[in-house]
Amino acid sequence: MKAADMAARARGETGNAGVQGAGARLAAVARRAVQRASTVSLVLYALALGAGIGLATADYATRGGYPFGGVAVGAWTAWPRTGSVGADPYARAVNARRGEIPLAVGEGMLLTAAQDDEGQTLDAACTYIIAGITPPARAWTVTVAGRGPRDPARTIVREGYTSTEILRDRDGRFAIGLSPEVQAGNWLPMPRADGPVRLALRLYDTPVAASAGTLDRTALPAITRTGCAA
Amino acid sequence: MTPRGRFLLATATGLVLAGLVHIGAVLLIPRLAEADALSRARVGETLDHALPVYTLATGDTPSPPEAWLPIPDPAVAVGICAYDLADGPMRVSARTGPLMLSLAVHGRRGAFYAVTDQAAVRGALDLVVLTRAQYDEALANADENDVSRDVRIVAPDAKGYVVVRVIAALPSQRPAANAAMQAVSCTVDVPAEDKAGG
Repeated sequence: MKAADMAARARGETGNAGVQGAGARLAAVARRAVQRASTVSLVLYALALGAGIGLATADYATRGGYPFGGVAVGAWTAWPRTGSVGADPYARAVNARRGEIPLAVGEGMLLTAAQDDEGQTLDAACTYIIAGITPPARAWTVTVAGRGPRDPARTIVREGYTSTEILRDRDGRFAIGLSPEVQAGNWLPMPRADGPVRLALRLYDTPVAASAGTLDRTALPAITRTGCAA
Repeated sequence: MTPRGRFLLATATGLVLAGLVHIGAVLLIPRLAEADALSRARVGETLDHALPVYTLATGDTPSPPEAWLPIPDPAVAVGICAYDLADGPMRVSARTGPLMLSLAVHGRRGAFYAVTDQAAVRGALDLVVLTRAQYDEALANADENDVSRDVRIVAPDAKGYVVVRVIAALPSQRPAANAAMQAVSCTVDVPAEDKAGG
């Protein structure tokens, strides 16, 4: 009770004395604490530091996407090993936290892109052309997704294309227009009004999964920005 | 040792501890997670058929909310069969159809085997997941005149799950893909002598 009062008063005083006074006083308190610290308090300090930083960094590393293990090929990043027995512990932890069921090596391979070919983040307000060919696979799908939960008010016309339904040129190449505005040809609408979006290319039953390191950037569709609204 | 030195030593110890805690936490997450695929698959362990994880939206019917996959492929129906080999070998039977189907066997450490419908014999794909002991037993009991069409896989762990993926190349194939995914049967294989006795 008394200690809480004193702490409150001290906080009030430092607040009045200004930032510089507070900083100096804090440094003095810290110095005094270091000089007078008993062995027990130092041990407790070390334990708290270890637990705090250890848990915080583990949480940070396994939150969201895979921290490493990707193979960068142009704008795309291939994730050949995230589902296999050879997956690194971080990938396994990420899968467990997200409830993800990754593609196995014999099943297919996931490639993601968060940037265009020039290295700019894919933005929902911009228009992109995703054109070219894909590595050999029995089937593939290209999907677009925004981060975070979906906007329930927004009707989703289309989330992606499969290799069967896409319209191709005479030479087998294809071009997808990823845009908030309606486009002729293969139009992939933006999943949200603004903010970053990500593309996912899933190759099913592909020999590439076993040798993702040898993928060439010309074997994957190029992502080119053609313009931005406002 | 000066107080300052003691403090620095405590800080260094704390940082080393932080490294150990970090490594330990990352390694423990898959084991302790309650929302991962292995724990969620347990719900459907008693089912004879694949538990739907992600069924495709058909017509006006949206994809049901039981889907837990973070970013699912909107053209692929996903089902899951949990197995516990302590109950006996797990048999996964799939009939191949016009749609591409793949089966992947996941253990605690990740997927250790995957097969697609191209490996099917006469339109049927039979995958038997067993432990090393059950595999040896099956080999010993096998009748040499009886040709087995089963694909036998030895699992590294007793618990795991089989993932069924069916790809709907066109939106019109989505109902068929959902049906094909749910038609995959996952049953505990009864040993041969029990079958003969009963």
